[in-house]
Amino acid sequence: MIPRRFLPTAIAFALALPAYGYPEFQQFVKKNSGRGTNCAMCHLHPDGPEGLKPGQIGSLSTEEMNQLNQARAAFEPGQNVSNPILNAFGNSIIGKLGKTKFLQIRMHPEELPAALGDMSDLDHDGISDAQEYLAGTHPLDDSSGEPSRLLLINLRRYAFHLIMMVVATGAGLYGLNAILHWFDVLMSAARDKEEGNG
Amino acid sequence: MGSERMNAVGAFLRDRLPLSHFSYEEMVGKKLVPVHRMSWGYYFGGLVLFFFLVQLGTGVMLLFYYQPTVSDAHASVEYITKHVGGGALIRNLHAWASSCMIFCLFVHLLTTFAMKAFEKPREVTWVSGVILLMVTFGFGFTGYLLPWHQIAVNATKVGLQSIEEAGQYMPGALADFPRYVKELIQGEAAVGQATLSRFYALHVVILPLLTFATLGLHVLMVQLHGMSQGVDHPTGKTERFFPFFLLKDFSLWGLVFLAVITLALCLPFESLFAYPLFEPFDPLGSTPEGIKPEWYFFFLYYPLELLPFWVVMLAMNGGIVLLLAVPWVFRRTSRRTLSMIAAAAALYLVVMTLFGDAIHTFFKGVPG
Repeated sequence: MIPRRFLPTAIAFALALPAYGYPEFQQFVKKNSGRGTNCAMCHLHPDGPEGLKPGQIGSLSTEEMNQLNQARAAFEPGQNVSNPILNAFGNSIIGKLGKTKFLQIRMHPEELPAALGDMSDLDHDGISDAQEYLAGTHPLDDSSGEPSRLLLINLRRYAFHLIMMVVATGAGLYGLNAILHWFDVLMSAARDKEEGNG
Repeated sequence: MGSERMNAVGAFLRDRLPLSHFSYEEMVGKKLVPVHRMSWGYYFGGLVLFFFLVQLGTGVMLLFYYQPTVSDAHASVEYITKHVGGGALIRNLHAWASSCMIFCLFVHLLTTFAMKAFEKPREVTWVSGVILLMVTFGFGFTGYLLPWHQIAVNATKVGLQSIEEAGQYMPGALADFPRYVKELIQGEAAVGQATLSRFYALHVVILPLLTFATLGLHVLMVQLHGMSQGVDHPTGKTERFFPFFLLKDFSLWGLVFLAVITLALCLPFESLFAYPLFEPFDPLGSTPEGIKPEWYFFFLYYPLELLPFWVVMLAMNGGIVLLLAVPWVFRRTSRRTLSMIAAAAALYLVVMTLFGDAIHTFFKGVPG
């Protein structure tokens, strides 16, 4: 907890900082998962916070700059952070851990999943954000996830749909079988009749 | 002399296009399918047709929402996936079925070759099949660009660049020909709106029309000529095409449909790749790692990365000519030899597809 008297200094310090991404996390994820990743795991722009493109610091309006500065001052955990250069996952990290803890973890990016815990799953794909971070997949995209885990999770999730599809396909094939046999009998009868006449 | 030649041409056409068989009885009612150890090979042509029909159905559904402009293409695909009811399923089905179609096409090509199903009088069936193979690759190449994400645009750039590079190995005025072809396909100085429009037109109009025409001819030929013998020593056993073989064919379609729809529902195609590859293409942004063509081009892509360009181009063009000339080049080759050639080709395709990256890393020190 920062003493109240230091708060203005902390805010002023935060305001003076340029917007840096933290490549330590990206480097760890890439090394750990073997997957290609980029800044878009936590930032709005895939090339990170610096620049003039949408989601980068140079594109922010005055109101968004104020939001950015408030987010930079979120040193304690449990605050509602809405940093305009971060995506929902980036904001959830700062909101859950607070900036102070986040900057400590920066030197040990492998500790981030434990600090986040397995409760949050922002894209509702069944894989927690922390696990997605470890696997190098996107925590905000439900089509991005470790394939084997996604397959198992979705097999359980859609079990009823799949059973119904098996039943429907089976019924369809049974009906088709009956129709084709009926047609065959009909054609054979017509052929026999024709040969009989001939 | 002239009438003899005309008679010879007439006999050739009668053998290849036996229109006297054009009746329900000949093409369906009395048609028999040989039963032997390679009978399973007869089902793959039907599977390719099934996947084509899936592609047609899902493709039409995707057309309702897809916007073929560089500004909206990616957003429209995202809209389909995230906001249209069943959109993710349809898109996944389209992606999975395209890969399954090409897989079955490879197997169909190799089994047909090994069974010597191309021999007289089935040359037209074989040649139309090879054209369908090329058209299917065309579908794959043009469809890859449409979502307008990083991997789509960058992989297309690499593919088009390869066409232009062929020019440096051509003599005289011909040297400019590949560049003209590239510009014709690309439509402008770099891959952009003109390219997307052309690929879209090719993918949804021109190639489907070409497929309907060629597929119609191919299926008609199969029905007119009946199933090929397939083995050197026939067992003498046969089964009626209608209804027994056709029912087995449809049952297999049902099983395969269940497998593909399970995959489409439970395993998003994009999960097999790193997510930065599916971000919208940004001409000013950094290019993500891992830009590659679809897996079914790996047999060509990794050799291009490892060997001199002219070697691969020569082999590829020679391969296409050889494929088209198979009925004449291999007309006296035994099925045993053909099976060995098909097995070697299958081994090459499997090794390049599954281990191409490892082979590239081994020789170049970095992943492909």
